[in-house]
Amino acid sequence: MVREYEKMREVAIIGVGSTVLGKFPEKLPYQLGAEAAKAAIVDAGIPPGKLQFAYCANLYGGMVIGQAVLGGIGVTDIELINVENACTGGATALRKAWWDIASGLYDIGIAIGVESITTSPIAGQLIPPARGDITGELGMNMVAKFALTQRRYMDTYNVSLEDIAQVSVKNHHNGCLNPYSQYKKELTIEEIVNSRPICEPITLLQCCPSSDGAAAAILTTRDIAKKYTSKPVIIAASALKSGDYSFRWEDITFSDMTHKCANQAYEMAGIGPEDVNVCELHDAFAVNELMHYVELGFCKKGEEVRLLLDGVTELGGRLPVNASGGLLSKGHPVSASGVAQIAEIVWQLRGQAGDRQVNKAKVGLAHVIGGDGLESGAVAVHILKM
Amino acid sequence: MKARVPFREGLFKESDGKGVLLGAKCKHCGQIIFPKAEVCLNCLGQDLEPTELSQNGKLYSYTIVHMPSEHFTPPYAIGWIELPEGIRIFSQIRGWQEYPLKTGMNMSLTFERLWDEEDKEVTGYIFRPSGNGEGV
Repeated sequence: MVREYEKMREVAIIGVGSTVLGKFPEKLPYQLGAEAAKAAIVDAGIPPGKLQFAYCANLYGGMVIGQAVLGGIGVTDIELINVENACTGGATALRKAWWDIASGLYDIGIAIGVESITTSPIAGQLIPPARGDITGELGMNMVAKFALTQRRYMDTYNVSLEDIAQVSVKNHHNGCLNPYSQYKKELTIEEIVNSRPICEPITLLQCCPSSDGAAAAILTTRDIAKKYTSKPVIIAASALKSGDYSFRWEDITFSDMTHKCANQAYEMAGIGPEDVNVCELHDAFAVNELMHYVELGFCKKGEEVRLLLDGVTELGGRLPVNASGGLLSKGHPVSASGVAQIAEIVWQLRGQAGDRQVNKAKVGLAHVIGGDGLESGAVAVHILKM
Repeated sequence: MKARVPFREGLFKESDGKGVLLGAKCKHCGQIIFPKAEVCLNCLGQDLEPTELSQNGKLYSYTIVHMPSEHFTPPYAIGWIELPEGIRIFSQIRGWQEYPLKTGMNMSLTFERLWDEEDKEVTGYIFRPSGNGEGV
């Protein structure tokens, strides 16, 4: 278990960078990674030679991609670990970088997430089921998994498809304000509900796109951070968990793993959900966002549709969620998403988020889940503060 | 006639479309596991007894899939069927064009062809709406 946080060093993020997310068949994965890493280094204002270690998350780019990413920008001869944890890969890289500094092992390092689906062996295909996965062989896939959640949710909690579509309306609106977003197009509830069915009741425009992109963050101690910036963003909590067996999962419309992980993060940060001003959460499908409001403690079960429809989670509301456009609009480059969320939160806390800026944001939360097999493979929650 | 082979060994026994799903029950904590395992995944107890699962259950959730799959041509239906034992089985669902699916409806187990592999017919468990599909 996590305890005795006071013995750890406080860790700050002093630089973040991201590529625009989208489809880039002309760019190799390491080129995307290098672009993001370089942007983070420039943002931090450090010489690249200062980096003592790196974690690089990736799923489909091949062996030792982190070496190619950093080798392309003059960073070699350091401890470098490549990470895979499905969609949670980027957040996992960030967490390990946090720990290497919190523990005193190193003073400054970089976490990178990079994915290029377009140039990968699975381009234009579904992510195939793991070998030996019985449900996958019998016709399960990632969309179907959440379509089953959504069907159960709509039928047992009396929620309409229009309510769920409103998540996609909100996040696509936000995406229009974000220069990093894959999509910049307003959508209507009607367009979303009437788009092509993928796995009923999930239609195309309730799904995140397949995306290429990369993001990076430079981490150091709070003390060293003062040398480089007047606005260090502190990592107040980092939590990562694997899922539990599905047979222990009582209600598929409530993710126990996200709930537990969030509680662990709140305890570590010494704050509660009511203190969060801005949140990036895992909206791979529109319905996910509503479920996660509850699991992250933003409201009680049964109040989540109200939270959305009352505008609490839109830009200008009390707790804007996925101000970046989220995975739905900004895009979902698998292993890069966890770090891209962190870049967004850092920009929000520093007041650098442009047209999508959340007013006076002091505390931000990032949440991402990934992989199948158990309830889900992994979940990560990070809490950042000024 | 093609030889019938199960899509996976040890999950069920059947002949001519009739059969049972083979699970295991932990003698220590009572957890029922499907597919059966060497140890109880709930309490790690090692004393498990084979158990035959119920033939009928309720539709916990379902979806009509419009995406391609390795073995199935869209649209096809899948879902979770909750058995009286308190566990949920993931399964292909047939008969949904005839009897529209509804969360909570009664479902019955059958064994049917899933797909063909060369000269073999691969069979597995399927759930269909019970009776005329109106039982809830």
